[in-house]
Amino acid sequence: MRRACGPPAIARDIAPTPPAIQQDLPLADPIPLVAPLAPASITRLWFCVWLPHLPMESVGGDNAGAPTAIVEEQHGIHRILLADAAARAAGVMPGQAANAALALLPTLHLEERSLLREQQALEGLATWLERFSSFVSIADQDVLLLEIAGSLRLFGGLRELRQKISKGLRSLGFTGALAIAPTPLAATWLARAGRRACIQDETNLAPALRKLPLACMDWPASLCETLAGMGVMSIGDCLRLPREGFTRRFGAEYLLQLDRALGHLPDPRNSWRAPERFCADYEMTEEQTDRELLLNICRELLLSHEQFLLARQLGTQRICVSFFHLRSPATELRLGCARAERSAGRWFELLGIRFEQLLLPEPVIAVRLRSGMAQPLQAEAGRLSFRNKPGARERRFSITQLAERLIARIGDQSVQATSMVAEHRPDYAWRSQSLLADWSGTTLDTPGETVQRPLWMLPEPMVLPADSGYPVYQGCRLQFIDGPERLETGWWDEDGISRDYYTATGNNGRRLWVFRNRNRGSSWYLHGYFG
Amino acid sequence: MSSSLDKLLANPRVWRGRDQAGQQAGLASGYPELDRHLPGGGWPRESLTEILTEHYGIGELRLLMPALARLSTETSPQDFTEPGWIAWVAPPFQPYPPALQQCGIDLSRMLIVRPRDASEILWSAEQALSSGTCAAVLLWPSMLDDQASRRLQLAAEKGRSWAIAFRPLAARRQPSAAALRLELHPGDKGSRVHILKSRGGRPAVINTLV
Repeated sequence: MRRACGPPAIARDIAPTPPAIQQDLPLADPIPLVAPLAPASITRLWFCVWLPHLPMESVGGDNAGAPTAIVEEQHGIHRILLADAAARAAGVMPGQAANAALALLPTLHLEERSLLREQQALEGLATWLERFSSFVSIADQDVLLLEIAGSLRLFGGLRELRQKISKGLRSLGFTGALAIAPTPLAATWLARAGRRACIQDETNLAPALRKLPLACMDWPASLCETLAGMGVMSIGDCLRLPREGFTRRFGAEYLLQLDRALGHLPDPRNSWRAPERFCADYEMTEEQTDRELLLNICRELLLSHEQFLLARQLGTQRICVSFFHLRSPATELRLGCARAERSAGRWFELLGIRFEQLLLPEPVIAVRLRSGMAQPLQAEAGRLSFRNKPGARERRFSITQLAERLIARIGDQSVQATSMVAEHRPDYAWRSQSLLADWSGTTLDTPGETVQRPLWMLPEPMVLPADSGYPVYQGCRLQFIDGPERLETGWWDEDGISRDYYTATGNNGRRLWVFRNRNRGSSWYLHGYFG
Repeated sequence: MSSSLDKLLANPRVWRGRDQAGQQAGLASGYPELDRHLPGGGWPRESLTEILTEHYGIGELRLLMPALARLSTETSPQDFTEPGWIAWVAPPFQPYPPALQQCGIDLSRMLIVRPRDASEILWSAEQALSSGTCAAVLLWPSMLDDQASRRLQLAAEKGRSWAIAFRPLAARRQPSAAALRLELHPGDKGSRVHILKSRGGRPAVINTLV
């Protein structure tokens, strides 16, 4: 009855603002919130790659030959999620309990499903697909989407592109179901339904989608069951339901999905970007102690690191090389450069300096190279050649290279530059910086103190014993030759000082810089030597 | 007579020390008294200088400051390049930037290196000397044998840099490849400089210098 009198709202091919959405919005908006997609404005074409066997294919074929199945824990029971052809031939079925499968096939190799591994494989594929389109999106845990409208001319048409992708996927060891449609959801559903569809025109979209079964939409099983109980078996059946009733019974979300799939609503996607960090492992079949071999592996890794950065026109300031052992925790080697660098030769040189001293507690089973955040390379200022006179100092390497070499061997904190700070407190009047930090080697232009300061400073003021009010240093009463200079400042923070500084001499000709606190007792302190 | 002397001197088998040192102009020390006693009229550039003291802080830095200030700010007349860097390797205390700036040192071209052990001190100094970017390298080695001093001397020649090693007075008896060895003794009115060894020059004692 209701169906007869209600207009088939969903079935409209080009709908104005769907009434269901307007109803859901608390504020009545006179302007349609979502304008219908103008068919002729921007033509987009979505290429969907669905990877049904990803859990299996992401494992890697280290146990080639043996029948393999992926298991997943469901309600405390390990169940078969996927089985390869050999296992299926023996009667192993998805959904079976792992024990049952093992009873059927004792040689079955069971592999726990790893979502992390699948994600990594998917990201690897997304990176690979970036060569076909500037817009690659990871739509689901097993679905990749490419926007290919802009790539068609470059790759010589749809057929060619499709062939290239399908061939590439096979060579990478993945089985992909491919589909092309003007909206991302439609492409995904078509791929999941196993239709090798290629719909370029939006007018053909609705007829193609109508035939698809409900299962391809990845809706919850309970919803699909309810719909099936109502005799709704396909998307076409769905579309014949009244919009209002559909929203009320199943929620607006599914109606929105249908509208997006048909292109009535925009469906923005996030573009996937390859991480701008490099991480690569080199695994060995057996433990190794040969340092020469390890160095060669590092060189290999650094070369692929260079390729990675070269493709992005980037460099990095830090890398970390980890040597994995079977029993001990990994030995890590962290290297830094003063400026973004990608050259494998430079990194290898720095690595060599540190590797010489590195003690490996155990043989090494794997080597990993991770790079820090990639940065744009800075151009190095070159010199005009006519300035290179014969008498010129032979410059083997620049100061940054020198600093890098020193840091590589003796550590980041051991190589420092200094600069002045406009501050009267002697301890705060300067600062030392790591050369790897954002370092520009600035100098304070304002002249410092007018009173002579000592060239040597003690890291901490040293208490001096006193003899009838005079400081004593190395058994000798000091004589003041200059002072006092009163420094009373810094009250605004916790380290305020109130000191009288004197220049004094002892018996061995040293000139000392001593002070006495004005507010706390009267002990004397030695703060520096005039050097 | 003078012609026969000239003939004798023209003989290639006659080696004169002064000629050797005369090939290289010294770096004016800022102390005319000292310059007079040094061959080339100043510190020997591109070689190793040793300064022996019993304590630190008796004027050993003040002795060098005028020359270091010139090195850190002046562009080299030879190659028009920017001024070289001054590296401090394993200083016993913190070189105090405000005082260095008062002496005219460009702080932005100063590098302080604090190695962890004796071999790293020598390695760092050698790297800095031979890099060709440091105009001067000051180092406080915990030990420096004849061989190590030779290495430093060679590195200084290679990188055309001035190496200054500060050592205790006890090192006086050890042989060294340094081009110049000075002792610095504290005195009441100023420190005394005692030139122990000077390639192309003569030992001398200079009173009340710094």
